[in-house]
Amino acid sequence: MPLLARISERSHDFVQVSLAFCLFLFSSVASAQDAAQYATGEKLFKMHCGSCHKPDADMTGPALKGARARWEGQGDIYAWVKNNAAYRKTGNAYAQKIYDAWKGALMTAPLSVSNEEIDAILYYADNYAPPAPTGPVAGTPVETASNNESSWIWLLVLALLFLVVGLSLAGVKRGLENSVREAEGLEPIADMPRIQRFRKWAWEHKVFMSFVGLFLTVWVILRLWDAAWVIGVYGGDEVPHYKPEQPILFNHTLHAGKADKGNLGINCQYCHSSAEKSKHAGIPSANVCMNCHKAVDTGRKTGKAEIAKIYAAAGWDGKEFSGKETPIRWVKVHNLPDHVAFSHATHVAIGKLECQECHGPIDSEMDVAEQWAPLTMGWCITCHNQREVKMAGNGYYDEVMARLNDDEKLGHRELQQYLEDGKITVRELGGWECAKCHH
Amino acid sequence: MSSTKRYWMDAADLNQDPAAMMARENEFPQSLPIANGDLAIDQVLGDKNFMGASTGRRDFLKFLGFGIGAATLAACETPVVKSIPYVTKPEEITPGVANWYASTYYDGQDFASILVKTREGRPIHIKGNPKFGLNRNPGLNKGSINARINSSVLSLYDSERLKNPKHKEGEGWANVDWAAADKAIGEALNAAAAADKRMVLLTNTIISPSTTAAIAALQKKYSRGEGSLLEHVQYDTVSYAGVANANAKSFGMRAFPSYDLTKADVVVSIGADFLSSWGSTSESTWQYAERRNPDGDMNKHFQFEARMSMTGANADVRVPLKLSELPLAVVALHDAIAGKRGGTPVGGGLENEAIAHAAQALLSKTAGRTVVLCGSNDEGVQVLVNSINTMLGNYGSTIDLARPSRLWQGDDKAVVSLVKDMNAGAIGAVLIAGVNPSYSIANAADFNTGLDKVGLTVSFSRYADETASRCQWMLPDNHFLESWNDYMPKAGHYALAQPAIQRLYNTRSWQSNLVKWSGGEGSYHEFIKATWRANMASHGSTSLFDDTWYQAVHDGVYAPDMAAPAAQPSSLLSPEAIGAAGAAAKQAAGGAGAFELELYTSEAIGDGQHANNPWLQEMPDPLTKITWDNYVCMAPADLLALLGSTDFKDLYLGQESPAHVVKVTVGSTEVELPAVPAPGQRAGTIAIALGYGRGANGENVGKAACITDHNGELKPVGRNAYPFTALRNGTVAYDALNASVTLTGATYPIAITQTQLTHMDRESIVKETSLAHYREPGSKSHWNHQHALPVHEDVNGDGVINAHDRKPVAEFDLWEEFAVEGVGHRWGLSIDLNSCIGCGACITACNSENNIPVVGKDEVRRSREMHWLRIDRYFSSDMTKDRAHEEGVRKIPMFTAMEVPQESPSVFFMPVMCQHCNHAPCETVCPVAATTHSNEGLNQMAYNRCIGTRYCSNNCPYKVRRFNWFNYTSEQFSEVNPAWDDLGRMVLNPDVTVRSRGVIEKCSMCVQQIQAGKLAAKKAGRPVNDGEIETACSAACGTGAIVFGDLNDKKSRVRGLAEGDRSYHMLEEIGVKPNVNYLVKVRNTDEEAHAHA
Repeated sequence: MPLLARISERSHDFVQVSLAFCLFLFSSVASAQDAAQYATGEKLFKMHCGSCHKPDADMTGPALKGARARWEGQGDIYAWVKNNAAYRKTGNAYAQKIYDAWKGALMTAPLSVSNEEIDAILYYADNYAPPAPTGPVAGTPVETASNNESSWIWLLVLALLFLVVGLSLAGVKRGLENSVREAEGLEPIADMPRIQRFRKWAWEHKVFMSFVGLFLTVWVILRLWDAAWVIGVYGGDEVPHYKPEQPILFNHTLHAGKADKGNLGINCQYCHSSAEKSKHAGIPSANVCMNCHKAVDTGRKTGKAEIAKIYAAAGWDGKEFSGKETPIRWVKVHNLPDHVAFSHATHVAIGKLECQECHGPIDSEMDVAEQWAPLTMGWCITCHNQREVKMAGNGYYDEVMARLNDDEKLGHRELQQYLEDGKITVRELGGWECAKCHH
Repeated sequence: MSSTKRYWMDAADLNQDPAAMMARENEFPQSLPIANGDLAIDQVLGDKNFMGASTGRRDFLKFLGFGIGAATLAACETPVVKSIPYVTKPEEITPGVANWYASTYYDGQDFASILVKTREGRPIHIKGNPKFGLNRNPGLNKGSINARINSSVLSLYDSERLKNPKHKEGEGWANVDWAAADKAIGEALNAAAAADKRMVLLTNTIISPSTTAAIAALQKKYSRGEGSLLEHVQYDTVSYAGVANANAKSFGMRAFPSYDLTKADVVVSIGADFLSSWGSTSESTWQYAERRNPDGDMNKHFQFEARMSMTGANADVRVPLKLSELPLAVVALHDAIAGKRGGTPVGGGLENEAIAHAAQALLSKTAGRTVVLCGSNDEGVQVLVNSINTMLGNYGSTIDLARPSRLWQGDDKAVVSLVKDMNAGAIGAVLIAGVNPSYSIANAADFNTGLDKVGLTVSFSRYADETASRCQWMLPDNHFLESWNDYMPKAGHYALAQPAIQRLYNTRSWQSNLVKWSGGEGSYHEFIKATWRANMASHGSTSLFDDTWYQAVHDGVYAPDMAAPAAQPSSLLSPEAIGAAGAAAKQAAGGAGAFELELYTSEAIGDGQHANNPWLQEMPDPLTKITWDNYVCMAPADLLALLGSTDFKDLYLGQESPAHVVKVTVGSTEVELPAVPAPGQRAGTIAIALGYGRGANGENVGKAACITDHNGELKPVGRNAYPFTALRNGTVAYDALNASVTLTGATYPIAITQTQLTHMDRESIVKETSLAHYREPGSKSHWNHQHALPVHEDVNGDGVINAHDRKPVAEFDLWEEFAVEGVGHRWGLSIDLNSCIGCGACITACNSENNIPVVGKDEVRRSREMHWLRIDRYFSSDMTKDRAHEEGVRKIPMFTAMEVPQESPSVFFMPVMCQHCNHAPCETVCPVAATTHSNEGLNQMAYNRCIGTRYCSNNCPYKVRRFNWFNYTSEQFSEVNPAWDDLGRMVLNPDVTVRSRGVIEKCSMCVQQIQAGKLAAKKAGRPVNDGEIETACSAACGTGAIVFGDLNDKKSRVRGLAEGDRSYHMLEEIGVKPNVNYLVKVRNTDEEAHAHA
């Protein structure tokens, strides 16, 4: 089905989920058709109106709930919505009244919506019900940690138990032996301290103990060797990921996660906007947060308290900025040594890497940001060794491309050998060279 | 009789000395020379007593164990790094991306339009404003700035600047707030005015229209009749009053002219060091260099001088003359020209062949194509020079008086009368800005006593310096990077300075004070805008003010199209006036004694206001290569005579060869300084640099002006030579003709970066030729021949294999060859030895860009300076291989003679940085592959891989690799190293790693800029444009001597230069194939073409 194929899976799912959701909420009052109208309206509302209007409360503009009723008999609501300023110039008194009441705030004009779409939006606004505070929340890291801890404790208790049992059994055995010896009329074994007894025993089992000793030494060395490799490594498969506690419980999954999973689906670079301009991806300044959070002041669980921290930082009292700003002291998660000149811009803008390739499932499994990749040099250069350079369409690489295509004028036929595996990797163009990252 | 003999170990044993016996019991008598526990290896190794101390073996092991344990523990700790974003991010700032702001530098001696690089709001680098902005107007300096200007960014972060306004209370100083200061000073000024006392504002030359307006406003407040009680006295630390006065006499216009050396085919300079210190050097350097291209219309430059100046070192013909002969040389030149052009001869000039020669060269050019400059500050001499230039028709062409420079308007006589009036108690208030008379005037003691007699004394200095600490109020001015200001260096040419950072301390620009005290509202910024608005209205500008203003802020330069300049003023000189001037000139030449002393300003320190800047203190002097000191320059022959020696080796300066201290006496003034041999110095003359010896009475004049000397005492760097200046004929004279020099017998360690004086006739290092020879077709093999090696095959096809069978070095390869052509980029530098004037701006620019540590005098003395880029200076020697061959001189005497420079040698300046060899000897010897080759032709250095074996440094034929002997950013070097404290660290470039102890570092060809430039090109999806990427040195080079680019880009400038006839590689014969090439130096000498083997 070519038509369906063009519809992205995401929006398809979204419609279905919303549909189901609405059905659940309004099953008693609305037919299936109304539910579809509601879903379309919600989508359009978010697309066109959400940045200035709320359905049930005043924001930059008035609450849309009941707008149709308010306009009843006052004028043409469709023309008003489509081109706010133009309609007011026709001399409509109610339009002027709203304009004055909202201190001259103007709507985006012209708004390209059809009358049917306006109907859907207003239907959505009139029937709006706030979502129930539910949603998928992943298990918190604290629980995981305590699970690990408790299993250790159990093992320890078990080991102690075995030790006590073993020692008492040894005591019993010795007692029995002595009884036997006594019965046989022999001297009882002298009561030696345990250490001495162990040494005596070990001396009698020299070969066995040598092997055990050797095994233990090798084992300890190997463990130390392994441990040395992950000193200062706080990501990757072998060590627990660095996941510091942040001053604000910012939830990456909620903000950046896929919309069809009930998340907001905000593009990473909306907040980390310098990722394609600078070496730093940047932590968004509080004013970026406020773009949305001026309107959104509550969340699903702890949102209200956490968002209040942003307000405190930005000096927002709910109506205006007081000017009393206190910067948020985030804890840096990904720490590279000072001698590494990593550039986000190179990787994002030129290499066209997805954020998740280095930062892991930050948009689906990380409520709290953690260091997913090991960030070791081995990890960097392994990728540089495999990754193909995105040369197509970038004029900078035209010359390299021409040489690859055997342009004799340009020389350096050695490039051809790079193509043996069918691709030009970052390494082949110098991605393993020291000064590219260390200067 | 007992047979037991008693043997004693020593006298102590015999005497049974109890103390000695006790000491003997104690097997390990000394512990580590560190008393407290917090031990840094630097401190142990750096301790001066360390070599003499012995360390207990057990203690050593204990400390070793502790050290390893502590290091291990420290390594395990994970520091929590905070990351604090803006609350409201300014739109123009992207963290990690530099912003550049156009601004202007002016400090009374240098003026330049500049660009300031800021990172996250911190200025970190300054370069000249190249063609930039509206109409691509580059400003007067056309992107050329000197080391003093690009180092000025460091002084912003000096932690010893005044942090608060202060008021003297008793013997101490109390911090006050600005409101209190405003009130108290306002009242004091009013009281002085009420008593009808004169008040004086003493400043350097003010070229700012708004400052002038602010002064006028304050003057208006205290007006009396037509005039004002507040008098504005301008004073130049280094005076040009002689030139200005002469122009007043010659043309009725008291001003310093504008010069245009680009129009001069012949430049004759008599004692004017116009490339380093005389006049507007940021203009004259690029103008001069533009005419030094041997493929173009190369000028011819005559220099008559006593001291070997930087300008003299670049001259085609340099004639050493005594200081007393210089005025007579002007007379002789005047008469020679007058004889041909119908002027009034003066008579009694110096008889010298070279002067006749120079006159001939001047006369051979059409009118207006020459210029004669003179460094004298004597009015009479300068009147004669004006007369010469008038006869040569240079006004309106190479010299412009219709639109003169507005710099150097200072009046020496006014300062003298001010001192007199202050002492007479006639002055009610003195406000001092931009000058430091207690340090820099000859009769500073009189000034100081006078200051005590003034009712109100206010200093606007940024430091509690010599003058400020004697005032009642210290109201610290902003650093220029924190302030708004405007300038008009020439009529119709405006420049704006804008702040690049918020004020670091509680300071205020001194102009704001004037605005406030005169009752004005608002900031100085608003005042400037208002002044501009008024000025533009008066100019009849029709464009919108805001458009013009913001464009001017953006460009830093505003030069509206002016109406044709007014006509040049015509000469007022009568034959009598010329005769009088000649008599004055001859008088200036009189009274010569055993030695004639010249006072000059050095390229690095200038007039002394930058003495607290460690980058400048550590920048080697262009000629002597000495850092961290001033000294007495003496002709080597004179110094040998003084030492009673004939062996040139006695003059050697080095780590273990200190200089001899001499006492220089002029009248009752004397100073003791080390004497250094200065080849080219005219016998019978000596020279001392001004600007040193700041803070001699314990004033806090800023970091690095005083350092701990070899005796462990905190002493000023160098000695103050301003007391030798004297008022003569109404102007300050910078020569003292009757000086005596005596040995004191003391020695003094000197920190010198280049101990060898000559290039030992090795033409594989520096190559030169004369212009005539250069232009001869087919002569290339003579002045730039390729090195060839004999091979065992019949190359020339004569049937015999002998020494004539040679192949060019380029064909030999010891290692497997790198692909060089067509591999993408191959970065390279081309350095034109003809354009390089040796100024050293590249050195300090490199310091700033690459976070190069300052190591201090003691470390420089041990050859441990860290500069990635040095400028080698070579003098020519009388002895050459050819001459030795002709005269049958044997090898050893020949080499000995080669070490001795000529009496007036020709000089080479050769910037040397890592040559980025394609076959780098350093790469093959590194045991850990810390230095490797990149596919872009760079020799790269990974600091974190380096284990400090220094094999690479040993194997480098160019000796450009520097080793970090210590952690130079540690507290141990806090006296000199700015980067050790939190404030100084702000100047560091965040794109470049700060190196630690134990690693080698060297020029990276600014790889961070290369990477940034490539990224910009990739983002835009286009190849890298030529000229888009610049290294710090190439951007700083005002004469265009250093060109950076991609050698594999066939259209690039650097490729064109590298393929030109003049291009050669240093030490080509060793076959390391560098990516840096040099262009043969061509001198416009009279020497005819001659065959050169």
